[in-house]
Amino acid sequence: MSNRTGRGQGFGIALSAFVAFAVGAVTALSLLLGDNPALFGDQPGSAQLAGLLALPADVLLRLVTIVVALSIVIGIANLLTTHVGRLSRGKFYSAVLLASFGFTVYWYVTRRGDTSLLEAVQVPIESALAALLCLSLLHGGSRVLGKRADIWGLLFVAVAVIVLLASTPIAELAPVQAWRDWLMRVPVGAGARAMLIGIALGTVVTGVRALLGQDRSVRG
Amino acid sequence: MDEEFNWLEYSESMEATAGDGEAPGKSRGLRRFLPGRPSLPRLRRGSRAASGPPSASDILEGQDERALADLDERLRALRERSVAASQPAAPAHQALYDVDDLLASPDLQSKPGGVISAVALSKAQERQVEMLRDIVGGPSQSQGTGGDRQLPVFSLDAAPRLLGTALLILVVCLPFVSSDYAEGELPPSVFPEDRHGPRDMYNLLDNLSRDDYVLVGFEYGPTAAGELDLLADLLLRHIFAQRVKPLIVSSNPIAVVHAQNVIKDINRSLSSADAQLVHGEDYFLLRYLPGGALGLRELSENFADIVRISARGLPTGLEFAALEEMTELLLIAESAEVIRNWVEQVLPEAEGSRLLVATGYAAQPLAQAYAEGMEQIVGPLFGIRDAFTYGEKLRATFGAFVSVEPPVGPVIEPAPVNAESDSQAELPRATQAEIEDAPATALPQPTETAPPTATPFMTDTPPAPTLTPLPTDKPAPTATEASIRIVEVTSDQRVNIRLGPTTVHDILALGYKGDMFEVIGSNGDGSWYQILLPAGVEAWIAAFLVEERVVSASEFAGAQDSASASESAARAVMQLGFTLRLGKNRPRFYQAQPPPSGDRPELALHRDRSLETPRLQAMTLGTLAAVLVIVFGNTIYALRGLLRGPRAQGR
Amino acid sequence: MDQTTLQVYAVLFVLATVLLVYTARYFQRRGKRRPQRRMLSGERVSEWTSGAIEANRPLHLALGGTAVGEDKTAIALAEAEFFYHIIQRSSASDIPPILSTSAPSSIPLAQDTVRRAWSGGDTLSRARWYPGDLAYAAAVTGMMEAEEPAAHILAGSFGPELALMIDSADRRGQGSLAVSDRLEGQAVAYAMADECLIGEELFAAAGAVTDDGRAQADAIVLDVWRALLIMGVTVVLLLEVAKRMPWLNWALVLSVSAILIVFGLLIYRRR
Repeated sequence: MSNRTGRGQGFGIALSAFVAFAVGAVTALSLLLGDNPALFGDQPGSAQLAGLLALPADVLLRLVTIVVALSIVIGIANLLTTHVGRLSRGKFYSAVLLASFGFTVYWYVTRRGDTSLLEAVQVPIESALAALLCLSLLHGGSRVLGKRADIWGLLFVAVAVIVLLASTPIAELAPVQAWRDWLMRVPVGAGARAMLIGIALGTVVTGVRALLGQDRSVRG
Repeated sequence: MDEEFNWLEYSESMEATAGDGEAPGKSRGLRRFLPGRPSLPRLRRGSRAASGPPSASDILEGQDERALADLDERLRALRERSVAASQPAAPAHQALYDVDDLLASPDLQSKPGGVISAVALSKAQERQVEMLRDIVGGPSQSQGTGGDRQLPVFSLDAAPRLLGTALLILVVCLPFVSSDYAEGELPPSVFPEDRHGPRDMYNLLDNLSRDDYVLVGFEYGPTAAGELDLLADLLLRHIFAQRVKPLIVSSNPIAVVHAQNVIKDINRSLSSADAQLVHGEDYFLLRYLPGGALGLRELSENFADIVRISARGLPTGLEFAALEEMTELLLIAESAEVIRNWVEQVLPEAEGSRLLVATGYAAQPLAQAYAEGMEQIVGPLFGIRDAFTYGEKLRATFGAFVSVEPPVGPVIEPAPVNAESDSQAELPRATQAEIEDAPATALPQPTETAPPTATPFMTDTPPAPTLTPLPTDKPAPTATEASIRIVEVTSDQRVNIRLGPTTVHDILALGYKGDMFEVIGSNGDGSWYQILLPAGVEAWIAAFLVEERVVSASEFAGAQDSASASESAARAVMQLGFTLRLGKNRPRFYQAQPPPSGDRPELALHRDRSLETPRLQAMTLGTLAAVLVIVFGNTIYALRGLLRGPRAQGR
Repeated sequence: MDQTTLQVYAVLFVLATVLLVYTARYFQRRGKRRPQRRMLSGERVSEWTSGAIEANRPLHLALGGTAVGEDKTAIALAEAEFFYHIIQRSSASDIPPILSTSAPSSIPLAQDTVRRAWSGGDTLSRARWYPGDLAYAAAVTGMMEAEEPAAHILAGSFGPELALMIDSADRRGQGSLAVSDRLEGQAVAYAMADECLIGEELFAAAGAVTDDGRAQADAIVLDVWRALLIMGVTVVLLLEVAKRMPWLNWALVLSVSAILIVFGLLIYRRR
């Protein structure tokens, strides 16, 4: 890791941290105030004021959407540079990829709006992969206790078996369906919520760190 | 030897030894096996508080420049060895002398009298020995840890995988080959009474009229095609059959293509060329929304812009001001996350519309929780079994009329309809067969019976307990009465009028702002009003959506200028399980009549259903096979673990 | 609860988090440490990084579908931090790690993470973009064959396609650590990966593989919130239960609590 921290670099770090903080704070405030016209009472013009306050967030978020959409260009550049580099090392699949890329671009430029290539290639291949995925999942499910030989592994397998059995329309398995319903409603619901709350907590902490300019990627 | 070898500890002890020359308190880790102590230089620069045991990489980490020349002599030798390791193995004895000493012998497993084989090595130790072998270029002893391991064409490890796969493929194919392997029951042809979500969903979609638009979130790709294709096909057919135009949108680019394929399949099932669904006329495929949740937010806030451009980048010609103009939102999604995004980002902007959710097994718990907790969310329909039931119901609804040509006039005297309303589009599709079977009184018998293919679905909605015959002593409001106690819908959104005073009761009708209903009672705490729908049908509406007041009979009658159908007809309709269609802005009533001529029942009927039953049975058998493989595999692993003891198990 | 009240709570929550972040950093700087939460993967990650260096093979770090600029930006930042510390640990190797993502907007973040943690060499081409979900999984399995990574740290947004990657890694004897912010992926991670993190452990993971003050402070803040949340839920639950038991009174509650505390202390001392 480089230890260079010159004055210019220090300024760059401060500037990027400031920009991150400023943009984040403006967006957060704008969202908080602008989304709630009730804050300004019933006076005439309060709705307009709320709309005005919501404007920065709207503009910034719309910009983000545009940037995200445009980032596909970065992706294509990345894909091409990686595979051109590999091509020079004689990788056959890279050559196939680059040739396919060129052909697909040609196809869409000459036949605007024709998605048949996508339908004929991408969709069947993804469908085949989805079928393979089923086998991978089955194999993974059959060796849970090989990976986690503890009570939690056992519980995981038991729940998986109950849920699978309950999804079959066999009259004799009706009691299992009641267990499944309870499992889904109580422990699974609680667990899923706990995980999502945990992720939300982590998101807030990371967001706050980014807003404070403490995040490494924000610090330049 | 109780404790497992710790490579990290070993590195640390080496470092401590080399650094300040102090003799270590006691030898740890692999050092126990050493004939003598190797003297290695201090590699780490500076001191760094250790957060855990430092690893070999920690030791090297402090070196800012890793030019080869700067490396310590032994490290360089180590490195050269590691490069050479990919070559045919050099005699291990000649490799690093320290390491060579460490290992005592390159074939430590095969020499029973060797130093190391005299003690039992744990898995972890074997791994480390293997790693050292890798570095010095010695022959590999184990198969377990080397990342260079080539995938064998066939090995004993692969046997369970192959057997499991073969079993699964076999059982899944069986139902397609012969009907002798049917297992399990087919789904019911109607949704059970306790599943209000799917019933409401059907009713709401069935309630659409020709000038309605539905925003369809098509949020699944080929991964979930097996589970959701049939459902998507049926929901779209139901929409198309009523000449409602769906606006299909997705935040997944592959899903946009997949939606196109589903519609192509529908077109393939339609025989005549002029019956084909056409993009830009019958449906609109909108452009893909990048940015996940932000893309959906964009959809809700800039709806007008988004609907102008199709997936092919061409103008759609659609002009909408806001998402609110969509009659309903229909979401077909494979993942819980996407459903959450739609609920959080799109739904708040779609006031007055509902989000009808169809999904797969994975996202079903979340969708169910949403549907139970939020009035605006209806459903969920999930999986291939619900699709089967939905298809049956759809076929029953549209099927009965196909051969009744022409319809033998109105079964019930048509009520006068507002001149400005599109009466045809507003009519429900109660079938003659249904009416025949309906236990309603005083229904004129149709002169022509329904074709045998029609499936009556009388069992669908048996009269709910709260549905009581209209008391004969309660006459419908007439102009002679001085005043009537009514409730007027004050909510800006369309409100549900239900069969009973809870949100789990079926939706009977939809009320719009300004609609007035006569009050005939309320529940215990006053949170629901019992109202009399103009056709004399009793129903319930939540009190917070309406305002109670007293109006003169003439005023009330004026509000109901669309007049009323006969009481018996309304009751028959109720018993048939239809939603009462009140229409926008003014109440209109159900009449049991053939479907409007504008509808396209062939869309609901011309489906290839030959594979549906084997598919369901294949799914059942496949699930059972999966359970078998999972139970069998895990039992073997559990037994192996028990026999070998906890430490020998894989991690 | 109306919208204004909700917003006030949200602001208070964020302010409390800010305060906690600074307090944790303060104590961290003062050298006050607290025992790390038990996260097995920290040790295993150390082992993998060492193994990668010594076997002269790259590590593979996967961001999956976590995209910068979307609602998952914070998750992407947390993952980048986690990866940064892992790359630092393996920076003695000759082969830089490979960072893969299926979201093009995450490519700059991935490149930046490698560049910061790794000095010299061609680091830009180590950030790879493989579009799609299933296609991403397929491309990663191809990469496993071609570049033979020593281990895979799959921390990001994954669905069930995670199974394809872990299964493939498993067959090649390559280790795997997995965590996903999507529940489907998380289930697969738990069942199949050698190591898995669950839920918010992803955000504390950086603290488990480094002694960097910031990362540790974040882990502390998360621990505090988590503890408060668990306590809050428990208290509400107990109150709800108590409401349904009219015979319950304070004397009974206090005496049972006292007995439990005494037993707890006894067990604790014996251990």
